[in-house]
Amino acid sequence: MSLQNILENWSKYRRGAEEGGHHKYEHRWGMAINLDLCIGCNACSTACYAENNLAVVGKERFAKGQAMHWLRVERYWDESINTTSSVAPEYPEEGASFLPMMCQQCNSATCEPVCPVAATYHTPDGLNAQVYNRCIGSRYCSNNCPFRNRYFNFYSYYESAWPEPMNQQLNPDLSVRDKGVMEKCTFCVQRIRAAKDKAKMEDRKVQDGEFTTACAQACPTSAIVFGDRLDPESKVAKLWAQQEVKLGVYKQHKQNPEKRGYRIFEELNIDPSVMYMERVRDSSI
Amino acid sequence: MSKRYRIKALFSDFEEAFAALSDIRHSKVPGVSIDDVKLNSPIEHPEIEEVLGERPVHIPKLTLAGATFGLVFGFLFLASAQATFLVQPQGGKPVIPLPSNFVLVYEMLIFFGVWTTFFAFLFMSGLFRKRGNLYSEKVSLDQIGVIVEADEAQRDKLKSLFKTHKSLEIREEEIQ
Amino acid sequence: MIEKDIDEQIKWAKINADVLRSMENPRRAYWITFFICIAMMACAVTAEIYQYNTGMGVTNLNNPHMWDMYIATFVFWIGMSHSGTLLSAILHIIHADWRKPIYRFAEAMTTFSLMTAGFFPMIHLGRVWNLYWVLPYVSDRGHWPNFRSPLVWDAFAISTYLSASMLFLFIGMIPDLAICRDNARGWRRKIYTVLSLGWVGSDRQWRNFRKTYLLMACFLIPLAVSVHSIVSSDFAMSIMPGWHVTSFPPYFVAGALYSGCAAIITLFVMLRYYFRFEEYMTVAIMEKTAKLTFAIAMVWTYLNLIEFASTWYGHDIYAKELLIAKATGPYAWIFWTMLFCGMVVPFALAVEKFRRHMPTMFVVSLLLNLSMYFERWMIVAPTLSMAHDPHQWYIEWPSIVQWAIVFGSFGWFGLLFLVFVKVFPSVSMYEVKEMVFHRRRLVNENAAKEYSRRASDRKGAGGTPELKGA
Repeated sequence: MSLQNILENWSKYRRGAEEGGHHKYEHRWGMAINLDLCIGCNACSTACYAENNLAVVGKERFAKGQAMHWLRVERYWDESINTTSSVAPEYPEEGASFLPMMCQQCNSATCEPVCPVAATYHTPDGLNAQVYNRCIGSRYCSNNCPFRNRYFNFYSYYESAWPEPMNQQLNPDLSVRDKGVMEKCTFCVQRIRAAKDKAKMEDRKVQDGEFTTACAQACPTSAIVFGDRLDPESKVAKLWAQQEVKLGVYKQHKQNPEKRGYRIFEELNIDPSVMYMERVRDSSI
Repeated sequence: MSKRYRIKALFSDFEEAFAALSDIRHSKVPGVSIDDVKLNSPIEHPEIEEVLGERPVHIPKLTLAGATFGLVFGFLFLASAQATFLVQPQGGKPVIPLPSNFVLVYEMLIFFGVWTTFFAFLFMSGLFRKRGNLYSEKVSLDQIGVIVEADEAQRDKLKSLFKTHKSLEIREEEIQ
Repeated sequence: MIEKDIDEQIKWAKINADVLRSMENPRRAYWITFFICIAMMACAVTAEIYQYNTGMGVTNLNNPHMWDMYIATFVFWIGMSHSGTLLSAILHIIHADWRKPIYRFAEAMTTFSLMTAGFFPMIHLGRVWNLYWVLPYVSDRGHWPNFRSPLVWDAFAISTYLSASMLFLFIGMIPDLAICRDNARGWRRKIYTVLSLGWVGSDRQWRNFRKTYLLMACFLIPLAVSVHSIVSSDFAMSIMPGWHVTSFPPYFVAGALYSGCAAIITLFVMLRYYFRFEEYMTVAIMEKTAKLTFAIAMVWTYLNLIEFASTWYGHDIYAKELLIAKATGPYAWIFWTMLFCGMVVPFALAVEKFRRHMPTMFVVSLLLNLSMYFERWMIVAPTLSMAHDPHQWYIEWPSIVQWAIVFGSFGWFGLLFLVFVKVFPSVSMYEVKEMVFHRRRLVNENAAKEYSRRASDRKGAGGTPELKGA
């Protein structure tokens, strides 16, 4: 009943950001990505395609920027091996560095307040959820995402992405999206759901390392670590603590400035849940 | 009981028409009050109030009521919707965010204000009536019509008054 | 030369006859234009059917470019809608009676450009069949729109503005519809009888009419300002560089007035030429409109420059880099054309010789609106091309589908306007009569003084005042 709803639940939503925001969080899923370990193999991206029923759109549409890769590996040529000489690198790939980029599950996500129909919202797991059925495709959320990590179904991709018998490989745990809706990385919410359900049935808490996302699972160098930030014993929480990176701030004040951890665009006060560890540059050794 | 007539005189000279009204006001025709006089004119004459006397317009009150309704209802509507739609609060903001509600309530105030004004105008200004036999199409062109309801006794006096003021045409009909 | 807004000796019967003549017997040029408009609309409808069935991808929209020409055109049409009603209401309140011959078509322009603009948010939605989810209706699932989204504010603001401006247009037209009723025959008479709602011009009707019209004008001024501010918050409320600008609401309102005034001049020249309305849409009124447009152009120029300055001196590196990219990048030719047409061309309006020359004014007004269209493109597209993440920088141009729909929207607007001028009087007859009536009363008292003052203004001291009319 709505009045009851107001009286009982409102105080929960009135809590300030310093007390952990508006939710009593059950979990706060987060990631730590060590860029020094990333070799740019794209296994994470491929695993994501397989796990999340992402459509393969074909060369032409990919070139047009209409691809659906929830996780993309960004390449930057920010450093040449011959930093001291002015000679052009022998291969164009020389000095490439890689950055796996997926939805950062921001705790003050800019995509959420702009959606006209509230199709995207924050879950008590600290996830930025997208409700496909509610989405009307105004694409405002994607425009307001500084990472550009939201992907729109520009066509009915499913019609051509999985010709027989490839449709047999679709993951039954989540839907196949039709044209006109926005989608993005969910931190493999179907795996989270399964793990939580299993833990509930066995009457215990979710264990760290019990499950992981498809990208973290596929990474050959274990560059991607996934876990619950609220569990102080989890690997991801330890990494964040070790790198002195905190949630809920827009600027990190580190005791040791040598620590490599950072969050992308955190100065925009969006509070991302993914920490990156900067690559150790060849030039700095 | 004597017969009652509705008499309409058409003038092309507006000054003469106003003079005729002024005569009626100053009781040149006994038994005919200025309150029995109606005017049909092709344009708006704010200056006619000096002669006709001030007649009330109630639309602003209704507009105020409508706009206030828009303000109060708008806020309560939005607030109650937001209070029960707890998916909405995101990113550390209150459940009923005042800044965005100001914007929406502002629009709802104007929305209800405008529609009330419109409907008040439709119902308060005597529209949706038959034009009657006395209606002359010349009024929509360039002539002004003065309509008086009078008893048989004053009928001829009125007509002669209008004639002295160079009335072009006088029409009359019997009522009751 | 002595100039009057209107010749006050004009006969009222002539006013009626001239305006009513404009409403009958379309000439061949009318039908040609009419069918061109229909053909333009057919392009848009075809493109929209294709886009609806295939998906938004056919528009060349892509990941960084989620919005594009549709939104730019939406803002353009909303902007066009601003001058008519807003100027009409302001000029009504300050008793500037020169608005009377030109406000009717300007208000019609407002309503029709809003009706055009309203299509674009629908066209650009991915799932347009669920459009009604934006409206706050009571659902048994407890769903509401997200009241904090500027798109929902848009829905509120546009529906309010559309109803208010339609009502303003309609109320102002009731006495004229009664004139049409009295002069029409057959089925047209029946239609006008219904539309004029039994208006007979009684003192009670006029009294209530005056009050209603004033109240509507009072509502419309703050409303129009708020509507474009809200449209600007679609951008200003985001965090994107080049969108997150504090001065956007006044900048948008100024830009809206600017393009609206330019459109009024365009339609002024067209109606004057086509309907031979030289006696009502006089050069003197054109001069006043042009001066007003010039003033607004300078406001827009100022706001544009302070936007650049605050970006340049601010420490937002994303916004600064974007500004440099706008001026030098692939969209630079649009940027500079916009600045030239929007800041330099309006100075033509400061020259009396140009102001009095109708073909020049026509061309100038079109250039101004071109600048305004480019402005909207420069607001929407470059930000998306060059936002925060350099990996997602992508220059994209609209596809033929977008062009067809935007092209067709002009046809739809033209069609509405063409129907309007034949069904409704495009010059307000009763208000021109009022204008003439009041000027006739004034002219005898003030003519001599007024004429000698104007004559000496023009020629400097020593000119012989020419007295007439008294």
